[in-house]
Amino acid sequence: MCAPIPMWRFLSKAMAFVMLLSVLPQWAQALPAFARQTGQNCVACHAGGQFPELTPYGRMFKMTGYTIGRNVIPLSVMGVVSDSSVNNTSKSPDPRADFQKNNSLIFATGSVFAAGRLTDNIGMFLQWTYDNYGSQSADGKFHGHSNADNMDVRYADRFVSADHDFLYGVSVNNNPSVSDPWNTAAAWMQYVPVPSPTSSRFIDGATPYPGLAAGGNIAGITAYAFWDKLLYIEVGNYRTAKGALSPFSAGIAKDSKTKLQGNNPYGRIALCHEWGPHNAMVGATAMNAKVYDDPLDTSDARSVHRFRDVGIDAQYQYLLDPHSITLQLAYVRETHRYPYFLAGQPVQDVDGNPLPDTNAIDKTRTFRIKSSYIYDAKYGVSLAFFNLTGTTNSAAYDPTPTSGNISGSPAARGLTPEIFWMPVQYLRVGLQYTIYNKYNGAGHNYDGAGRNARDNNSLFFYLWAAY
Amino acid sequence: MKGNGKLVLVFGIAFATGCTNLPRSRDLGNPNVAGITLAQQVCSNCHGVTGASVSPNIPNLAAQQPPYIAAQLKLFRSQGRRDPAGFEYMWGISRTLTDKQIDELATYYAAQTLPTQQPDSSVASIEAGKPIFNEGIADKQVPPCGSCHGPHGRGNGNFPRIGGQHADYIVKQLGVFQRTDQRPEGAVMKTVAHKLTPSDIAGVAAYLQAMPIE
Repeated sequence: MCAPIPMWRFLSKAMAFVMLLSVLPQWAQALPAFARQTGQNCVACHAGGQFPELTPYGRMFKMTGYTIGRNVIPLSVMGVVSDSSVNNTSKSPDPRADFQKNNSLIFATGSVFAAGRLTDNIGMFLQWTYDNYGSQSADGKFHGHSNADNMDVRYADRFVSADHDFLYGVSVNNNPSVSDPWNTAAAWMQYVPVPSPTSSRFIDGATPYPGLAAGGNIAGITAYAFWDKLLYIEVGNYRTAKGALSPFSAGIAKDSKTKLQGNNPYGRIALCHEWGPHNAMVGATAMNAKVYDDPLDTSDARSVHRFRDVGIDAQYQYLLDPHSITLQLAYVRETHRYPYFLAGQPVQDVDGNPLPDTNAIDKTRTFRIKSSYIYDAKYGVSLAFFNLTGTTNSAAYDPTPTSGNISGSPAARGLTPEIFWMPVQYLRVGLQYTIYNKYNGAGHNYDGAGRNARDNNSLFFYLWAAY
Repeated sequence: MKGNGKLVLVFGIAFATGCTNLPRSRDLGNPNVAGITLAQQVCSNCHGVTGASVSPNIPNLAAQQPPYIAAQLKLFRSQGRRDPAGFEYMWGISRTLTDKQIDELATYYAAQTLPTQQPDSSVASIEAGKPIFNEGIADKQVPPCGSCHGPHGRGNGNFPRIGGQHADYIVKQLGVFQRTDQRPEGAVMKTVAHKLTPSDIAGVAAYLQAMPIE
C-alpha cells in the first residue's frame, strides 16, 4: 500500500511525466489488450478516446464477442491515482474518520484484465480489481484487498450480406447490463473508480446513478440479438454466483456476497440509428431481483428484498474527427419491497420521539443526464446532472454526523462538471467538481448535526492509466 | 444438474464448436479467411457492407479502383501511409493481411455499386467546386481533377475514384497532401493541392460528394 505524499510534489512530477508522454509520436502502439488485438488506436472503439464509452464500431466489436482481430496475449493492467477534497470538513466530530485521506494523493485502485478473442466466436472480458484501501483494521491501518470485478464471456455469430445483417450472441457474466454495448447501461454509466477512503464518499462516482439493485458479483446468462443495426434485444437470468461460477464473486467476503433467491430475470431493448456522423439510441431495461437480507442465512425464503427496476435510456453521439460530442440520459424507477421483519417496525428519533413505522415498500426514481465534448481525442469537458427522489422511510433515519439522514428521504441532486486530458491514449488525467444541492433528503442540516448538502461538494483529481 | 452447471455446459459446448468458423470469421491473423468474409465481418463495421459508409469519417470504398485499394492496404500494412486515418484505424486492421486477401478485398469493393450521395453543402459551394474539377485553376497551376481521376471522378488504376466520396474525407485528405508528407505515395497531390485555398477545397469536396455516380 502506498503512503500518501504531498500533492504538490506529486503533481509536479506527474506533470513532467505527462508532458514527456505528450511529445511521443501519436501512433505509439502502447495499448491495452483489445487495441493490441485489433492493432487500432483506442479512438476506433471509444468515442473521442474516452474510455469506456463506445463508438458504433466499438459496440460491434463487443457484440461480436471481442473476436475482431488476431490472437494476442490477452492481458492488460489499469491503475488509478487520485485525490479527493471535501468542501467542508469542519462539521464533524471526527474529521480523520469522516474524511480519510482528504487532500492526499493516493494509489486508489488497480485492475488486471484478461480480455480478448479466444476462438472465431468466443471472447472474454475478465476484470480483477485490487482496492488499495479495501479494509481497515481497528488501529486505523488500511489493508489492500482484491476481488472479481466485471466479467463477461460470450459466444457470438453474425450473418451479414448486402440484404441483411443479423448478429446474435450468448453472454455469461456477473453483472446485469455489463454485457450491454451502450454506456447508459447501469453497469457502465458510472466508470471512474471510486476510492474507498471516506473522503471520496461524495465524489461523482458515489452520487446516485441509475442502476439495477441486484448489483454485481452474481452469475447470469443472457442471449442477445442485433438486427440490421436497428433493433437490439437481450434477455437473461441471474442467480447467485456459486459452484462452477463462484469465480464471478471470488474475493468478496461471505457477509458481503449478494445471495439471490431463485431466478432473477433481466431484459433490454434498444432502437438505434446512424446517419452521417450522428448516431442515436433509445432503449429500456427491466430487472426483477430477490436478494436475501442476510447472505449468511438464507434459510428463510421470506427473508428477501424484492426489487423491480424499470429504466429508460438514450444516447446521442456526433463523431467526426477531431470532434466528439456525446449526450447520455438514463432514468430508473425502482420498487423495493422489504422482508416482513423490516416492514412496519417502530422507530424513534434521537430524542426518543416516535417516528412513523418503517415502510413495507419504497420507490425511488434516479435520473442522470450527461453531455461531453472531446477535441482531437485529447481535451475533454463534460457536465452531468443527477437527481434522486424517493419515498421517505423511517428506516433510513440516522442521526450520525456527516453520513446521517434525519429526514428519511434518499433525495439527492447536483451537478458535476469535469475537464480531462489524454496526453497519450492510455493515460487520462481528470478533474471533477461535484456540487450538491440536496443530500440525504435535504439541502440544509441533512444529518441533524448542522451539515448542509453543499458542505459535501467535492473536488476529485484522478490519473488513470492502462496498458 | 443445477443452474450454474447448466451454464457451464452450454458454454462448454459453444466453446468446443466455435474454435474456427471460416465462413464468418473475424480473425485477422488467419490467412485462410477469405477477403469477402473480412469485408463483411470486419470492414463492414465502418465502411458498410457494400463499401458505402454511413459516417463521413470513413471513406466510401464501393466502386473504387482495385489497384488503388490494393496499394493503400499495402501502404497501411507497411505503415508507409501515416495520416491519422491510416495509423488510428488501418495500420492494425491491415498488419497481417496477405496479398491474396488484399486482392480479394480490392475486387470485392470494386464490384460494389456506389449510390449517388446526398449533398450536405450549399448549392453555391458545389457550384464553386465544379470548375475546379473540370478546368482546374490556371493561375495557381492547379490542373483539373478530372484529368487524372477521370470523367465523373471514376478514377483510373492507381488514381482513386473521388466522385461520390464524402466531402469531409476529401477535405481532410487534401489537407494531409497539402501540409504533410504523411502520404508519400501521393506526392503528386502535394503539388496539385499546394495553392488550393480552404474555400477551393471545400468547394471541390462538396462538388465531388454531390457528383452523380455514372
